[in-house]
Amino acid sequence: MNVKDYIESGIIESYVMGLASEPERAEFERYCAQYPELVAARRKFEEKLEAYAAENAVPPPPEVKVKVLEAVGQETRAASSSIPPKIINMENAKTPVRQSGMLRFVAAASVLLLIGLGYLYYQAREDNKELTAAKDRLSVSLDTTRNILNRIVEEQKVVSDPNTMVVNMVGTTVAPKSSANIYWDSTSTNVYLIVKNMPKLPSDQQYQLWALIDNKQPPKDLGVFDATDDKVILKMKNTQKAQAFAITIEKKGGSPSPTLQKMQSLGKSLQSQ
Amino acid sequence: MLALKERNNQAFGFLYDNYAGALYSIIKQIITDNSELASDVLQEVFINIWRKIETYDQTKGRLFTWMLNIARNASIDTLRSKSYQNSQKNQELPDNVYKGVANQTTQQNVDNIGLKKVLETLKPEHRILVELAYFKGFTHEEIAEMMSIPLGTVKTRIRNALLQLREYLK
Repeated sequence: MNVKDYIESGIIESYVMGLASEPERAEFERYCAQYPELVAARRKFEEKLEAYAAENAVPPPPEVKVKVLEAVGQETRAASSSIPPKIINMENAKTPVRQSGMLRFVAAASVLLLIGLGYLYYQAREDNKELTAAKDRLSVSLDTTRNILNRIVEEQKVVSDPNTMVVNMVGTTVAPKSSANIYWDSTSTNVYLIVKNMPKLPSDQQYQLWALIDNKQPPKDLGVFDATDDKVILKMKNTQKAQAFAITIEKKGGSPSPTLQKMQSLGKSLQSQ
Repeated sequence: MLALKERNNQAFGFLYDNYAGALYSIIKQIITDNSELASDVLQEVFINIWRKIETYDQTKGRLFTWMLNIARNASIDTLRSKSYQNSQKNQELPDNVYKGVANQTTQQNVDNIGLKKVLETLKPEHRILVELAYFKGFTHEEIAEMMSIPLGTVKTRIRNALLQLREYLK
């Protein structure tokens, strides 16, 4: 190869200024390794170009330096805290315009992807919240239904048990419409009560059930209930003996002995006969 | 140079003081109509220089040459970016993009600085080619197509123009 001709072809200027094509660059670099005079000529042009550029320098706004040093300082701190600095390796002149454009595209795509993922995550979280709430609602409703069913089953068991005695409580002159049923299992001594129709009481009063045993003993307390407990079987206190049952109105929580003048309902058991 | 490769901040400040003006000049020769954008690009260029300093290879050329190419590439990227193109949209119809560039080139002689001053010494048909290749970043193939000149002619003319440039710099 004639080095002089090669130098005079304009390849040096083309290479230095970043206008040479990739094969031209590769060839030039190969020749540079072989011909020191080519390197010298390149160096000469670079120096001239640099001198000319320095002569024609335009002072940039002073704040640019501040911003650059700030950014660089931040990266230095980040780097010194263990993680090695990320180096984006872009050979300065290998199709540099394209490469840098690609980098921007990748960066933009990454940002879009991130936003997309964020949105999906948010959506999934919202869906999950909704499903949890729906599950809670269903679970509450299931519990209520199960309770009602259990009570019905229990009621059915009591009512259909052959040992159970039914005592029909009827109204007294004080409360002619009051009525309730007592289910009394004399074997197990369990006492159940179903309110059929009892007038509503003020909030400081409750109905109380009594077992009347005989003339020598005072009436036995079998517990309190409310008029609102209708259509439900109530488990009262047990008693072995009862000639009759009586319902009175007492203060909330019940009394130790009945206020008999307020007796609402009375029913005789078979034991009285 | 070693201090730079070790990411010495003081050495980097020194580098900035020495070369920022020359690089800002080349950036402004490419981004001619927006000083604010040009200084943003300068900032980006120096941060990139700092990040990539380890990839600089002394056997391939001087440090300034390497930095000059980074500055030129960043400026051309900005020039071709979507946001910049959009801000220019109203000025030219898409069909006339190439003609527009060529017109702009020939008319922009008034406040030329730096290397563009050298372009004035060239013949107009050479000047346009260097302008498109160096300051607009078009490939030789693109220039051949847009100017309807054979690719070989484009290459020869640009090489000749660059040789004239070398003579001018002497």
